[in-house]
Amino acid sequence: MKLIDRYLHEVKRHLPRKNREDILAELRSSLVDALESQAGEDASEEEARALLKEWGPPREVAASYHPEGQYLIGPALYPLFRMVVGIALAAVIGAQLLAWALAIAIGREPFVLWDALASLLNSIPMTVGSVAIVFMILQRFEVRPELEEDWDPSSLPRITDTEEVKRGELIAGVVFSILVLVLLVAFPEWVGFVTLPEGRFYANPVLGRYLGWIVISLLAGIGLNIYLLWQGRWGTVTRVLKVAVNLLSIGVLALLVRAHTTWLAARDAEGFLMTLEKFPELLEEGFHLVGMHAFRLAFGVALIVTSIETVVLIYRLLKAQLGKEYSPQGLKSEIN
Amino acid sequence: MIQEKLPHDVFDKLTQELRRGILVLAVLSRLDEERYGYDLISRLDEKGLEIEQGTLYPLLRRLEDQGLLTSEWNVEGSRPRRYYSLSPEGRTVLNALAGEWRRLAHVMDEMLEDITPEGGENEIN
Repeated sequence: MKLIDRYLHEVKRHLPRKNREDILAELRSSLVDALESQAGEDASEEEARALLKEWGPPREVAASYHPEGQYLIGPALYPLFRMVVGIALAAVIGAQLLAWALAIAIGREPFVLWDALASLLNSIPMTVGSVAIVFMILQRFEVRPELEEDWDPSSLPRITDTEEVKRGELIAGVVFSILVLVLLVAFPEWVGFVTLPEGRFYANPVLGRYLGWIVISLLAGIGLNIYLLWQGRWGTVTRVLKVAVNLLSIGVLALLVRAHTTWLAARDAEGFLMTLEKFPELLEEGFHLVGMHAFRLAFGVALIVTSIETVVLIYRLLKAQLGKEYSPQGLKSEIN
Repeated sequence: MIQEKLPHDVFDKLTQELRRGILVLAVLSRLDEERYGYDLISRLDEKGLEIEQGTLYPLLRRLEDQGLLTSEWNVEGSRPRRYYSLSPEGRTVLNALAGEWRRLAHVMDEMLEDITPEGGENEIN
């Protein structure tokens, strides 16, 4: 039977290697048995076709011989895989943002946004791919995560209400922001540093240029904090807004760090430590350089801290969104 | 009633799951003496239990891997055929499973006794 030969040849391609020939021989004898009992000894091509149609596509027939199903990463490993991918992605993206912040702060090479975005886009599939390959190998060698035999229910983690806002933190944030805002807007000439020998005050020459942006960013943060205090709970909208406010802060901080870098570069300033070392010889100008270095360092640290906080926020937000359909909160909000 | 309310694929899936558990018992019960695949399908069919070849042959191999069946090729007939029969372990397992089945069937019969066939008390919707 030509058609049966072709059918079995196709089945063979998808069968597991183990016992392949044996399975094929059995399938052949069963097919002929079935054909004979249905259509007699000299069955026509048409009757063979009907029989094969009934048996199903070759790939399906072959698949039923794979005892554990065919998985790249099976259900036993999948939860662990998801967790590791999440951690790896957060770490890689966090490191990348940190590297950008440092690149902007040091300002040695021009920072090109498109290059940075391209390298970020590159690193995501790289990370997911590498983790996937490791797990594919684990799956192939049938490594299974160990199940705890003697787990204790009382060791279960407590449920913390992550939606509750922390009032103390919010109020402190608002108060601090307002102080800075008032200082900047009302007394911009007070923001600077004192040069020691004569005790003269020297205002930061860079801040004034970016006053508008700084004010907008501070106002956005204050507004959001007050809204959160009023609401008392975090929600999806406020979380997204928090990310947006943070991104704005990151932008403004990056601008400030960059402006300080340009100012210092224009005066041929060396690194912070070198300047400190030489500064007795530099006298008054040395104070200016050290002061501006200190400002830059402070903004740089703020930039890094905000970046890390933002990555964590985005990660949590994505996780909450992905897990929503399974959570009771998600169900509740759908019903209401 | 139920078929009308429930999507067909859900009903089919549940039926399939229900059948999957009893197929092993049904196959073991027919392998008291040596039989080959197609013969087994016809015998189960006669008794009113349809089983697809795509289900039966992999199942036979799995049972053999588990040591419940033994098999050998027999070339005496019109064509070579693989004959399966119960191993001693298979016979023990068959007896134990049969006992468990009778117990379950009894429990389920009692449980389903007070279900009205018209589906009046069904809360599936």
